[in-house]
Amino acid sequence: MDSGTLSGIVTLVFIVVFVGIVWWAYSRRNKERFEDAGRLPFAEDDVPTQKGDKQ
Amino acid sequence: MEATTYNYKVVRQFAIMTVVWGIVGMLVGLILAAQLIWPDLTFGIEWLSYGRLRPLHTNAVIFAFGGSGLFAVSYYIVQRTCQVRLFAEKLAAFTFWGWTAIIVLAAITLPLGFTSSKEYAELEWPIDILIAVVWVSYAVVFFGTIAKRKTKHIYVSNWFFGAYILTIALLHIVNNLELPVSLTKSYSLYAGVQDAMVQWWYGHNAVGFFLTTAFLGMMYYFIPKQAGRPIYSYRLSVVHFWSLNFIYMWAGPHHLQYTALPDWAQSLGMVFSLILLAPSWGGMMNGIMTLSGAWHKLRTDPILKFLITAMSFYGMSTFEGPMMSVKTVNALSHYTEWTIGHVHSGALGWVAMITIGSMYYLIPRLFGRESMYSVKLIEWHFWLSTIGVVLYIASMWIAGVAQGLMWRAANPDGTLTYSFAQVLNTMYPFYTIRLVGGLLFFGGMLMMAYNVLKTVGQGRAVNDAAIPQAVHA
Repeated sequence: MDSGTLSGIVTLVFIVVFVGIVWWAYSRRNKERFEDAGRLPFAEDDVPTQKGDKQ
Repeated sequence: MEATTYNYKVVRQFAIMTVVWGIVGMLVGLILAAQLIWPDLTFGIEWLSYGRLRPLHTNAVIFAFGGSGLFAVSYYIVQRTCQVRLFAEKLAAFTFWGWTAIIVLAAITLPLGFTSSKEYAELEWPIDILIAVVWVSYAVVFFGTIAKRKTKHIYVSNWFFGAYILTIALLHIVNNLELPVSLTKSYSLYAGVQDAMVQWWYGHNAVGFFLTTAFLGMMYYFIPKQAGRPIYSYRLSVVHFWSLNFIYMWAGPHHLQYTALPDWAQSLGMVFSLILLAPSWGGMMNGIMTLSGAWHKLRTDPILKFLITAMSFYGMSTFEGPMMSVKTVNALSHYTEWTIGHVHSGALGWVAMITIGSMYYLIPRLFGRESMYSVKLIEWHFWLSTIGVVLYIASMWIAGVAQGLMWRAANPDGTLTYSFAQVLNTMYPFYTIRLVGGLLFFGGMLMMAYNVLKTVGQGRAVNDAAIPQAVHA
């Protein structure tokens, strides 16, 4: 196999992987799950409520 | 018994050292900029010569300032988004003291002239081993915390931190395989063009995974928090993550255009660098668009100004980078001041600004306060740094293009039009503008130090913060 064929195959594999990732990220099945994950920083409040050390 | 608090102590230690090392590293940068204008500035003392101080500057700003900032935010974010206390806390404390020891060792050995001469990996083998040990401990603490998380999902910031921790371990170990001949001298296992390729596979991925991926983890947490709304598109961040990691790995050869490296490898580096534009800009849009519907906050909130300006510089430098990797552009830009301008557009505009913004968010919380001592000073800091960066990169663009054009200019008989000294002479005004830009940026850092000092004085150090009851949606 010459290097041209090899780069062709590698390019194809990369494209398939990329399309797969986009499909997975944007599939309707995963909508809920990713929106959930996106709200994680807001799942708890981080304004300091108690002042000072609690050793 | 299960812990009901977060470990803020190690976060606080790293956060404070971020400010300290930022000032030290940038001060060395200022000395270097001044040395280029006044070569006799340090009276010919060898330990303070340009060649010795330059690696000290790069190591200090990347690994001491940037590294400490990343330890701080990753330990903070992984606890807060997993809603558990750090795993293996003694090991976490060891990462702080170990990392700080490495920085001190670097500050001693580099001026003394001990170097393996690999860019951004100059430290000699005993320090390399210490770095590997600290880094593996870091991985254990981080992934251990992820493993015992209370939340169902792993937040995207943690994915970015995870990729950065794994990749840096791999890069550091492979690039620093070396044969010690004495305590202070070793030789790389690689030679010739293989050595160059391994070095720039490492070097560019230090940019890609240390200075980009990890700081994106910072961005994906602090921009939503400071803007008070979730990231614009979480699904885009997933695509951003995977495509960035797949593509960055292959971009290293663009540092070796027109060298002994095989032509196909040079082209490969160029093509992958060009493709990188897509995920980079996807990420930038995602960060900036998080503000949509809340743009007014940008007018009044200087922390948000830092974070969003950082994203703009991220967008600018990730456009400039692929462009400079194109062989014909590279023929002009390589080895000139343009490269220095590009690096600082990323390092000051993107990395430093996102870190500074994040620290202004983080530090008051680590001292039981709601905000910094003075918000007005943050505003001043923002404008000083922005003007500083713009002066820096604009002067280096002009200097670099002039330098490239003058170097390649030839007379009809084939001799060079300009001597090296003539080109150097043209650089002086731009070196001066660069020094002014650097001074402004450094002045902003001093303001930050004062502001942090006052905040620390008013608050009380929080070692353990209560884990709030999760708000179930």
